Amino acid sequence: MIQLEQISKSFGKQEVLQSIDLQVKKGEVVVILGPSGSGKTTLLRCINYLEKPDAGQITIGDLKVDTKHPTKKEIHALRQQTAMVFQQYNLFKHKTALENVMEGLTIVRKMPKDKARTISIQVLEKVGLGNKLDHYPVQLSGGQQQRVGIARALALNPEVILFDEPTSALDPELVGEVLSVIRKIAKEGITMIVVTHEMDFARDVANHVVFMDGGLVVEEGTPEEIFQRPKEERTRQFLSRITPQATYSI
Amino acid sequence: MSRRFDMTYVFDFIPKLLAYLNITLLIVGSSILLGLIIGMLVALPRLYNVPVLKRVSQVYISFFRGTPILIQLFLIYYGLPTILQWINIDISRVAVLYFVILAYALNSGAFVSEMIRASVSAVDRGQIEAAQSIGMSGYQTFTRIILPQALAISIPLFGNLVIGNLKDTSLAFTLGVMEMTGRSQTLGTATQHFVETYIALSLIYFVISMILEQGFLWLERRLHRHEAGAKQTSAVIRRKWLTRPVSALSKGGRSG
Repeated sequence: MIQLEQISKSFGKQEVLQSIDLQVKKGEVVVILGPSGSGKTTLLRCINYLEKPDAGQITIGDLKVDTKHPTKKEIHALRQQTAMVFQQYNLFKHKTALENVMEGLTIVRKMPKDKARTISIQVLEKVGLGNKLDHYPVQLSGGQQQRVGIARALALNPEVILFDEPTSALDPELVGEVLSVIRKIAKEGITMIVVTHEMDFARDVANHVVFMDGGLVVEEGTPEEIFQRPKEERTRQFLSRITPQATYSI
Repeated sequence: MSRRFDMTYVFDFIPKLLAYLNITLLIVGSSILLGLIIGMLVALPRLYNVPVLKRVSQVYISFFRGTPILIQLFLIYYGLPTILQWINIDISRVAVLYFVILAYALNSGAFVSEMIRASVSAVDRGQIEAAQSIGMSGYQTFTRIILPQALAISIPLFGNLVIGNLKDTSLAFTLGVMEMTGRSQTLGTATQHFVETYIALSLIYFVISMILEQGFLWLERRLHRHEAGAKQTSAVIRRKWLTRPVSALSKGGRSG
């Protein structure tokens, strides 16, 4: 189980996160929605300490971290328990698809090379890239690169995978292949926290939806509750603006 | 004044000048080597944002990039012994060659440190975050992710630097160092065939520069293997080259 308690973060004077609480059960897929600037990406990045929270507590399984004064060891442990899929893929450009996936296993987990290779090949096959093992990132399409990014996270077998707008940088026709891979691994019971703007996907894959705005959790609930019967006016506004029918109205 | 132009002198002078190539290469090699060490040390405070040392290295870099190498040579050859005399160290008997190497090393160090800084900061920040996110330590991130890519990015800059340094060493003759250019002066004076010596001299510098250029190009291609995808057309690759973030940072105006 993952628990965030009173996570706060300011950039200068602007409070990006105002004492956020969030609970994610094992095997649950939590989708965070919200307009840009609402703090959802920052929240995600606080979980693996890519962004340093000003205050709050993060609990992942047995690991409890006071984010105000974490030790180096605790930060390292947080990162070992989590993995992240980035908006811009962030693959290691000088490494092949296979090497990208193996890197964490051999260097961080100190796994023997042949074992890491076997696992990495399996994972890459799972995301449909079994035939691209020796391709460098530049030789892959955006969708393929993002699937390598997913494989890199998946191979580490973390407690939770954090998805930071995984399809936002993709050409529209490549979004589908990435979403279907995420859907597939969600069904395998891997705990995920997903920040996305893909509403259909969110409705379909989420067990729990969190709507954020202005650094606060405005509303949370099941996809049905949020999409069909939003309680808060702000949520209704956001959903009506982002659903396709309304996008083109003048 | 000088005698009539005679091409045979050019061919006659080439081997005579080449006999001093080792001195030129000694200056280039040792000053680049020292410059790499100095440059790394100077780059560190700027990369890691160390408060006071950062300013010091900035001043050092500005000075050696902002003054002519000839003046730097004179300052170090004539100025350094004077300064050291104040604290009772006598280096007036040290061979001039060492002063020359020191001057070129300090000069290269400034450019090397800029090269390192530019190359390291050209590695995209996202990959560093990705490395951290999979749990790599700072050291692992640097050696496994940043360094290999920064190295590849720095090769063209480094190539410019070495070739620039090679040409700059020709100024060492002003202090009486008998390297190739110094030798050409004496050959010219002795035979009164100055133009021929300069033609011979420029041919030698040109060929060495060409060899260095090809060598660095080869190295660059090797280190950039991962970018030259088989599936890509060369036009696409070339476009990528042009948009490389450091292409605007190569050395530009430099003496020699």
